Amino acid sequence: MTDSERKGAVLPAAKEPGDAVLDFLRLVMEKKLADAVILPLKVPSGDSYAWILMNDISLLDDAVPIAATMPVHGAKALRSLTRKGPGNLTVIAVMRPCEIRAAMELEKLGQVHPDNLILATYDCPGAVQLQKYVDDPAGSEKLFTEMMQKGKPDDSAKPVCHYCENFSMFDSDIHFGHLGLSDKEMFVIPGSSKGSKFLEELGLTPAVDLSAWEEGIDKLKTDRKKARKSAFEETGVQLRGIDGLLSVFANCIGCHNCQSACPICYCRLCYFDSETAEQNPDALIIAAEKRGGISLPEDRILFHTGRMAHMSLSCVSCGQCSDACPVSIPVAGVFSYIADQTQRTFEYIAGRNDGDPLPLRQFRKSELPGVHELVKDADAEVSSHE
Amino acid sequence: MKKEFTPRITSFLCKWCSYTGADLAGTARLQYPTSIIPIQVMCSSRVDPVFLIKAFLNGSDGVLIGGCHPGDCHYETGNYHARRRFAIVKSVFDSLGLESKRLKLSWISASEGPKFARVANEYTEEIMKLGENPTRKSIFL
Amino acid sequence: MSSIIIDTSASRKVRELLRFLLESGKIDAAVTMRKIPEDSSYDLALITDASNLDEAVPIVPVMTVNAGQVLSSISTSGKKIAVVLKPCELRAFVELVKREQGSFENLLTISHTCGGVFPLDLVAAGKIEELLPKYEKIISKGEVPANTRDTCRACEHFIPMNADITVAVAGDCESGKGCVMYLNTDKAEEYAEGFSGERGELKFDPSALKKMLDARLLEKEKLFASITEDGPGLDRLLDTFGKCIGCHGCNSVCPICYCLLCDFESANFDYNLPYFEEHLSRRAALRLPPDTIFFHLGRLTHMSFSCVGCGMCSDVCPVGIPVAAVFRKTGEKTAALFDYVPGRDVEESIPVMVYKEEEFSDIG
Ligand code: SF4
Ligand code: SF4
Ligand code: SF4
Ligand code: SF4
Ligand code: FES
Repeated sequence: MTDSERKGAVLPAAKEPGDAVLDFLRLVMEKKLADAVILPLKVPSGDSYAWILMNDISLLDDAVPIAATMPVHGAKALRSLTRKGPGNLTVIAVMRPCEIRAAMELEKLGQVHPDNLILATYDCPGAVQLQKYVDDPAGSEKLFTEMMQKGKPDDSAKPVCHYCENFSMFDSDIHFGHLGLSDKEMFVIPGSSKGSKFLEELGLTPAVDLSAWEEGIDKLKTDRKKARKSAFEETGVQLRGIDGLLSVFANCIGCHNCQSACPICYCRLCYFDSETAEQNPDALIIAAEKRGGISLPEDRILFHTGRMAHMSLSCVSCGQCSDACPVSIPVAGVFSYIADQTQRTFEYIAGRNDGDPLPLRQFRKSELPGVHELVKDADAEVSSHE
Repeated sequence: MKKEFTPRITSFLCKWCSYTGADLAGTARLQYPTSIIPIQVMCSSRVDPVFLIKAFLNGSDGVLIGGCHPGDCHYETGNYHARRRFAIVKSVFDSLGLESKRLKLSWISASEGPKFARVANEYTEEIMKLGENPTRKSIFL
Repeated sequence: MSSIIIDTSASRKVRELLRFLLESGKIDAAVTMRKIPEDSSYDLALITDASNLDEAVPIVPVMTVNAGQVLSSISTSGKKIAVVLKPCELRAFVELVKREQGSFENLLTISHTCGGVFPLDLVAAGKIEELLPKYEKIISKGEVPANTRDTCRACEHFIPMNADITVAVAGDCESGKGCVMYLNTDKAEEYAEGFSGERGELKFDPSALKKMLDARLLEKEKLFASITEDGPGLDRLLDTFGKCIGCHGCNSVCPICYCLLCDFESANFDYNLPYFEEHLSRRAALRLPPDTIFFHLGRLTHMSFSCVGCGMCSDVCPVGIPVAAVFRKTGEKTAALFDYVPGRDVEESIPVMVYKEEEFSDIG
């Protein structure tokens, strides 16, 4: 489906975008088009959200489909449900675009089986940083409402949200469009043949012209692209050389929270936590003797650069790693900068559901001309890209 | 009207003593409640604390471990270890204010069919008094 | 056993000791905290060359990683290593040695009376320098600094157990100077032979720290009460751990949790779809990923009796769950069943490895 042919259906008016999504889901459940729904629900202490798989319609009343913050990455919820394969349960999930994109990557990695999943997403204004949300849930909710109205992240949002270009209409089955629309309108737009079929069965025929909404989104996208360029320029300077890298990760304590919060890092036992990567005591002493001294735990830079090599092609710039870092290292800023470079090398966009396999799962006999020079040119490209 | 409450008591019974005891209770036609869901384990020491916790969180109203009497374990000391581990789980529950009464360890030998029936009846009654395990309905576990 | 009067700052004196030990060849390496001035950050370092000791700050209220945990990866190198540890790090290492994750054989352990450490967010914000003078003043008076980790404020084991060398910096001296280094073992005497400083026969007197102990016991009572203050039970547990994001950071920084692959991350607790269907049919809803409370209850039973209350777990929790307070409280209660104190004695077996025939007669 090309963008220009894209049509949507209008959802019945509701107070807020989230309410319209809930009405939609009620309809889905009433028509028995899904067996269960996955949505965020406030946790009992009220200062965060959890993903809940539910088949009881009454629970929808408490659900918050467009939550202000993203504690557990949605793709991890989908992974826990379908890792071992698809089942008979048809489940519809509403998640942020970067969550759906990570799920697409996990599908390619064999960790999510979306056969019976209907994945829906929405125009995402950004997400409030987790620690900020936990510290002040009420205040954060207010800020998020404003973000929803403006369609733009503010200071409380994750830094990566400010320059995320993929905040709307990525490859989900169903998309809820609301940003940039003047009144309380919401479009529901099919994004895949599965989604079209689903909407049809629901009796929602996409016949409405979307150009007003698309224009609004395009405008927001332009801003984000600009922000992206300047953020990457800055990160590129910070990261220059081994000293730059060391300085950015100076406070790293080696807890690997960034890795365990990352939706892409699905390995049960990360290579960098395994016995293979563990240095034996003698090797550590030898390493210390070479330099006169080493920092402990060892190999923190190896861990980060290794992780970049292992997964940056699939990094969706969700920002979970930064949110989970106890010493406030801008992990996501670094990873999305690196991801931008590695993904461009292979003309790959993480999360795109276009049948493109993972770059490392394929090769062409003649490709990557001058790959030896690529490293050298990387500096120059930072400022010249786009 | 309130629905009749049928407790579910997940019961880990060692093969050499308690499971045989339960069998004996059965063949002797001693009455014991259907609330008991027996699971055979090779020894009471096979029951990792996480078995108890998983059963508890999955909504079992009671969790029972049955083993040989101290000194009689088929593997000699398994039940002493089981007892320590059980004490730990109980203490963890107590310190968090979770209902440790929903966990029980009992020594029942292979010949104690009547004791098995008595323990099963008494424990079921106790659990009836405690009512349904709140974990049955909890969705945030 | 002898003592050495410290005529300079305690941290500097320990640094001098490490330098002496390295230069004299008595040790091959030293493990100590270090300050990285250009980034205003701290790290733990393994130092083999004495000239690299300039940045060492052996006694500093910062714990980036529990040194006991790190030590388990180097203690068996066969090299002689002097390590400066906080009391709870030393105790954690004792627990690890009991689990065959390290050895004291080639170690010289140096520890100190501990005023508590600052939370990592203050470290990350570069606030330590600025906070130090006031901190030192407070602990020299035997009081408890308010902005340290909650489990530090509530820790009564701030006097090292079983260190070869104890440096007294809290309660009885200005840690600027006038503190004393106590050589507790023959090993310590042997290593320190030839090290400069006025020798004496002083004996470490814990009663000087009575005020600090009392204050901490009071804090402990408050901290423990806070865990169940709004009523105990399942609801309270869900209140505390309900927002857990399952990162397992608490487990990965815990010195006691040494398993390469934690049971709760293993394939044992991966479920196929029928599991979820069954739960849906019974509960109408369940959390994804599942097993949040299960993880914490499981970890509590697996290791809390060995918890040394270092506070690393709370400090790394991205959502501010007071993990350490819960583990410390539960652990203390559980350890008490066996008259067990984690880290007290390396010869003592962990409670699950041994048993007594006559015990728990009320069970069974
Ligand atoms: S590396 Fe960070 S930003 Fe990238 S996918 Fe993982 S958690 Fe998200
Ligand atoms: S979360 Fe932060 S401190 Fe932990 S390993 Fe990652 S970068 Fe280092
Ligand atoms: S560190 Fe906090 S969020 Fe992470 S698993 Fe532990 S309690 Fe949960
Ligand atoms: S549970 Fe927490 S406080 Fe206890 S030893 Fe482990 S990291 Fe330290
Ligand atoms: S075999 Fe029965 S308790 Fe060990």
